[in-house]
Amino acid sequence: MAANARWTFGRVLLLVGRLALAAIFLAAAYGKLSPLTAKQWTISSLKITPASLNLSMTFFAMQISSYQMFPDWSVSPIAHTLPWIEIALGIFLLTGLALRYVGVIATVFFAAFWALIIRSYALHLGINCGCFGPNEKLTGWRVVEDGGFFALGLVVTIGAFILHRRNRVAVSALPQPELPAR
Amino acid sequence: MNLRRCLLPILTGAALVIGALSVPSLRAAAQSHADDEAQLAAEKSLGSPSAPIKLIVYDDYECPACGAFYEQTLRPMIDTYVAEGKVYLVHRDFPLPMHQYSRQAARWVNAAARIGKFEAVERALFDNQMGWSEYGAENPKGIMKPFVESALTPVEFKRVERLMQGCESNDHDELKGCAVDTEIQRNIAAGDLIPIRQTPTFQIYYKGQPYPPESGMVPWTLLKQFFDQILNQK
Repeated sequence: MAANARWTFGRVLLLVGRLALAAIFLAAAYGKLSPLTAKQWTISSLKITPASLNLSMTFFAMQISSYQMFPDWSVSPIAHTLPWIEIALGIFLLTGLALRYVGVIATVFFAAFWALIIRSYALHLGINCGCFGPNEKLTGWRVVEDGGFFALGLVVTIGAFILHRRNRVAVSALPQPELPAR
Repeated sequence: MNLRRCLLPILTGAALVIGALSVPSLRAAAQSHADDEAQLAAEKSLGSPSAPIKLIVYDDYECPACGAFYEQTLRPMIDTYVAEGKVYLVHRDFPLPMHQYSRQAARWVNAAARIGKFEAVERALFDNQMGWSEYGAENPKGIMKPFVESALTPVEFKRVERLMQGCESNDHDELKGCAVDTEIQRNIAAGDLIPIRQTPTFQIYYKGQPYPPESGMVPWTLLKQFFDQILNQK
């Protein structure tokens, strides 16, 4: 009974963690795609047009470029792809589909972001992070926050693998139906 | 009950009267701010003020990233989009205390700006940044006078030297006898409002509408792409 309660608690924690990860990815994508001239989290920031989308993604490309780590030719493709990957990851995490694989991808993304942030902070680049939209300074707090996101991604992924394994064990322990003799 | 009923119209009326009285003073304050802005821009700007895009750049003459941004991004922009009337470029000084000679360089540029030679002196200092900055291999460091002199005629240089009287110091504090320090302080105050933590930081305006400020080195190809998208907006 106690073991069952622990598993239920674990499942709830996994659900909360998964939804938190989904919220992080969706908020990050929203910040990158919402119109630059609109104040974030307002109705006008939801009025996304093809022109505003293009501007936002080019602005994001400038932010990526300021990290001084990527070759010039790669900056624009990254800026035009990353927000959509974040949306896809957010949706997958919301639904819980293929959680183990999505968890691995999300954790790899967070690890890469974290490494990038640590490097830029150590180099005193003093640039904008670009993580959740424009005008967001890269500070020590951002390093801690990104480390937290990485840890959360790791915990959710490990949890998803453990849960999957337990479910498989539980299914295999069920009495197998006897097949009718031919 | 009656008192409550009366109170609301009285308070509304009072608010309206106060509002009406404060409008002229607010307008005056806004006008004065606009005048200050115009004066700040007129001295250290390139291009036409009526250009659809305005780019305000906060620079530190000694920061290597500012040097790279000037040479690789602003120079091609000045030669094309500024010359074609698409962009109005405004320079603002933001000498960071961590750079020993940045304030002194800003003083030279501001003195030159007073005689209308901002562009030439700015270019000379950025082109020769490694010749006078603490990051360069040349010795002695912090000697930028010859570079300023090379960018001006002897008569112009004499005028700039006169303006620099009381200013020749590496001190980052505002000097009492240095007239150009007032302008630098105003630039710093404008930057603090953003607020600026690093240079170069720039802010783009399209027909008066501000876009978020951005910091760091951005290649001209990307900035040009952004400008083109703004200009092609309906």
